[in-house]
Amino acid sequence: MTTSSWFRLQHRAAPYLFVAPFLLLFFTFGLYPIIRSLILAFYATNGPKSQIFVGGANFSFLLSDPDFHTAVWNTSVFAFWSVFLQLPLSLGLAILLSQRWVRGRNALRLAFFSPHLLGSVFVGVLFQVLFIPQYGLVNTTLHRTTGGAIPLDTRWLSEPALVMPAIVLTSLWMYVGFNMIYFLAAIQAVDKDLYEAAIVDGANGWQQFLAVTLPGIRPVAIFVLVTATIGSFQLFEMPWILLGNSSGPNKSGLTIVMYLFQTGFITGDLGLASAIGWTLALGLLVISLIQMRLTGAWKGASE
Amino acid sequence: MRFPYGNAALCMLILALLSGLFLAMRPVSKKTARLTFWTFADTHADAYRKALPAFEEAQRKKGRDVTVDIQLVTGEAVNRRLQAAFLTDLDVPDLVEVEISWAGSFFRGPLKDVGFLDLTDRIHESGLWERMVQARFAPYTSRGRIFGLPHDVHPVMLAYNREIFEKEGVDVRKIETWDDFVEVGRKLTIPNKRYMIEFPDTEASRLEMCLFQRNGGYFDPEGNCIFDNEIAVQTMLWYVPLVAGDRKIGSNLGSGQILTKAVEDGYFLCLVAPDWRTKSFEKDIPSMAGKMALMPLPAATPGGRRTSTWGGTMIGITRHCPEPDLAWELALHLYLNKEDLAGRFRETNILPADRESWKEPAYSEPRPYWSNQPLGKLYAQLAPDVPFQYTSPFIGTAKAKLGEALTQCVQYYRANGERGFEAYARQQLKKSADEVRRLIRRNPY
Repeated sequence: MTTSSWFRLQHRAAPYLFVAPFLLLFFTFGLYPIIRSLILAFYATNGPKSQIFVGGANFSFLLSDPDFHTAVWNTSVFAFWSVFLQLPLSLGLAILLSQRWVRGRNALRLAFFSPHLLGSVFVGVLFQVLFIPQYGLVNTTLHRTTGGAIPLDTRWLSEPALVMPAIVLTSLWMYVGFNMIYFLAAIQAVDKDLYEAAIVDGANGWQQFLAVTLPGIRPVAIFVLVTATIGSFQLFEMPWILLGNSSGPNKSGLTIVMYLFQTGFITGDLGLASAIGWTLALGLLVISLIQMRLTGAWKGASE
Repeated sequence: MRFPYGNAALCMLILALLSGLFLAMRPVSKKTARLTFWTFADTHADAYRKALPAFEEAQRKKGRDVTVDIQLVTGEAVNRRLQAAFLTDLDVPDLVEVEISWAGSFFRGPLKDVGFLDLTDRIHESGLWERMVQARFAPYTSRGRIFGLPHDVHPVMLAYNREIFEKEGVDVRKIETWDDFVEVGRKLTIPNKRYMIEFPDTEASRLEMCLFQRNGGYFDPEGNCIFDNEIAVQTMLWYVPLVAGDRKIGSNLGSGQILTKAVEDGYFLCLVAPDWRTKSFEKDIPSMAGKMALMPLPAATPGGRRTSTWGGTMIGITRHCPEPDLAWELALHLYLNKEDLAGRFRETNILPADRESWKEPAYSEPRPYWSNQPLGKLYAQLAPDVPFQYTSPFIGTAKAKLGEALTQCVQYYRANGERGFEAYARQQLKKSADEVRRLIRRNPY
């Protein structure tokens, strides 16, 4: 082989060699498990050694499985509050902390973002203590501030009606500041000339928000909306830590991923767990597509 | 000579080569111990480490050089790791201790696929069947085969606040049945300030204990789901009014520091106390030393059983173990050595399943924390009467479903009281049990 043909070969092969480590890892730990789980979803399993083909029985079982219905309902409720409570709060905070008149803005930004640095396991442990009946900080504070209207022994984590509000509160504390950072970055990137033009046109603060800020942050808002929705449907560690394996009274804190974990790694039914995983993935795909369609994401991209 | 693709690519290449070299050359720790043993409780691990030198010495005398690696794998990690190890045939220990509520989940699938060695013949041939409390083999038995040796008996008593009881003039010797207990409880309970007993209304651990006391349970010996039978219905009808409605005498706040505070404050007067929990009370609520005492569980009916059972641990030998005979010897050494067991009892308050060991003086020693009662003797007197509890691979689901039925019944009772309650309780139990049966039917193995 001549020197020039050796260099040509190098030039052709080099890109493939550079991406080879990633591809190797992706095929081994990404693509293979994805395909394997898709196959498993059509089998009744007793560990990977024993498998019996059952066709769509795992999926049809899910359709009539009350625990799966509970998990879907709980996760949807959580996702609803995540989107309609968490994101407006994050946006509100971002707008507030982008105002020049707010003193100590940087310290406040760090303060609001810092819960996310702790990690959901730590936050779960922390709120488990805060929610303790009779002696916990949440109950003692509420009891005092409401003049005793909220009893000290209010059981946030063992009263079916209170479990989801407790999880939502915990997640608000953790994620509002996190999403605020996205909005903050987007607001700061909006062209200042547009605000000046709006002021010249006589727009008030609210009109500026509607006509300048909101369209300016739309791509980021869509991104946050879609990722927050997907993240909500993947909720696992926090309720797992808060409620344990029982997922709360009446499974009031059971989420889809918790149910997947219980089915796969406690009951040992990997086939059904795979079916749950694929149902969740397809559901998320549909929801994301609908969201992107409703928010005009593709229209924005094509423009 | 310059690298043709730039410095960044060169750096990546060097890093990749270096890390690859490191991984290839890195010395991998080789398994040196002949037996690997996982346990989930630090108290167990400490006790077993103390007992090991005698075992290793005994083996040396037989001309065998045996070392044992005891690994503490705490909490639920032991179950997850074991499940993963069985599924993949990787990093499987030779012996492992499993908590009772998890044991059943390892007996899934055909008997030949169970990850534990069938110990039935060894248990009968060695006389352990007669020597140990037979009821304690039930949770570790599947389709008639025994896969674990019981570590304990865990009889249940009631721990009570002796100071308050004496102040209120309660004579515990007169409390023989739950009816007697409830009668006293109605007098002593002050809503939101003081409750007769720590009984939860949203999870089934105490309800389950009461169910076992009445010869009920989740499954029968054949693995059929039975927690909607008449015993379960009657137990539910009895239990719910104790934790819900205007006349309740039981409440629950949680565990850990909150329980410590509640006991210190006199919020709970009685606590369900299997032997293992008495040590938790000693450690977590030291301020109550000398103020607490134990009494047998009230019977469901006059002359009935005065105990039940709560919790448990088995030791199993995995099929993966290359030296099952040696592992069996180790299991026997750890579970039957009387001197070790006596010392362990002093440290853990746990009564071993081996009946012969209960004669040791350690079990008759008065315990200052418990108003100088001979704790071991009290539990040992009740131990032969602990009820059987049968298991199934679906035990985890069954427990959760009973908890759900309890929660529903409590909510119904709060809203409607006795009106229609019996029919509702029957319906909820049946619904929950049917869901478990549906899962069992779905299992083709």
